[in-house]
Amino acid sequence: MNASDQEKHFLEKAKDLLNDGVENLDNQTCQCLQNIRIGALRATEERRSGFFVPLRWIMVGGFATATMAAVALFFWLSTSPGNLPVKHAEDFEIMTSQERIDFYQNLDFYRWLATEENGPRRGNRSNV
Amino acid sequence: MESALDSKATLDRFLADVERRAFRMAKFASGNTDEALDLVQEAMFQFVRRYANRPPEEWNPLFYRVLKSRITDWYRRTFVRKRFLAWLGRADEEEQEDSLQNLPDPANPNPSDHILRQEERTALEKAIRRLPLRQQQAFLLRAWEGMDVAQAAFAMGCSEGSIKTHYSRAVHTLRGLLEDQRS
Repeated sequence: MNASDQEKHFLEKAKDLLNDGVENLDNQTCQCLQNIRIGALRATEERRSGFFVPLRWIMVGGFATATMAAVALFFWLSTSPGNLPVKHAEDFEIMTSQERIDFYQNLDFYRWLATEENGPRRGNRSNV
Repeated sequence: MESALDSKATLDRFLADVERRAFRMAKFASGNTDEALDLVQEAMFQFVRRYANRPPEEWNPLFYRVLKSRITDWYRRTFVRKRFLAWLGRADEEEQEDSLQNLPDPANPNPSDHILRQEERTALEKAIRRLPLRQQQAFLLRAWEGMDVAQAAFAMGCSEGSIKTHYSRAVHTLRGLLEDQRS
């Protein structure tokens, strides 16, 4: 008998003895195991019949909500700099100039007024 | 409705088939009947809760994976508890093995054969209990449960190479221990 056969023989014997141990379990232990099995199967039935929200879906929903809140917060904060009064260099000039702010607010009116005043003259010259 | 009943019956048959071996495995690891029953209960409930809807051909490695996980958790808890009790100087309060298993079977027609066989079985079980947990599980899954290397690796959550190493060491150690006892 070579080493491989000896090992095979040993394993067969070990398996046989282990099976022997299973067959010779006492009645009390067998009854306990049966009760455990029945309880586990009953738990499966209850789970199938009842309304059940798996924990993982609650976790996924929570994660999605948190992500949406984070994204919303990010966009809300990122739009804030656009509301600052100084957007461009020319605005910066206005803010730092010594002129009264009313002047800049009425600048469009002054431009229109200048156009109106200059317009008829140009028109008169062309007529002349 | 009929398929639900069929699947329940299939699940019942599967659990009935594995429950005793699962109990013995848990008892090898814990060395205590009540702890082993608790481990089997936890494993069965967790298995049916998580994997009852999976195809029946996948159940065996999945069940032993759950059982192995429960045993490992128990092992860690017990290790911490023993350390704590040892620190308090109360390590002797741990439960000892019950002697019910060693009672002779009255149904056996030949008492001398029974005693010899029981001695061999007791020696093997003691030797298995002396193995490190990973070797013990690899040996039981491969040699007793008949899993191949890939299935055992899945059940134990480790690589196939690791299973081969644990199994080989377990067989070597067991043979050595049993030969020592015979001599």
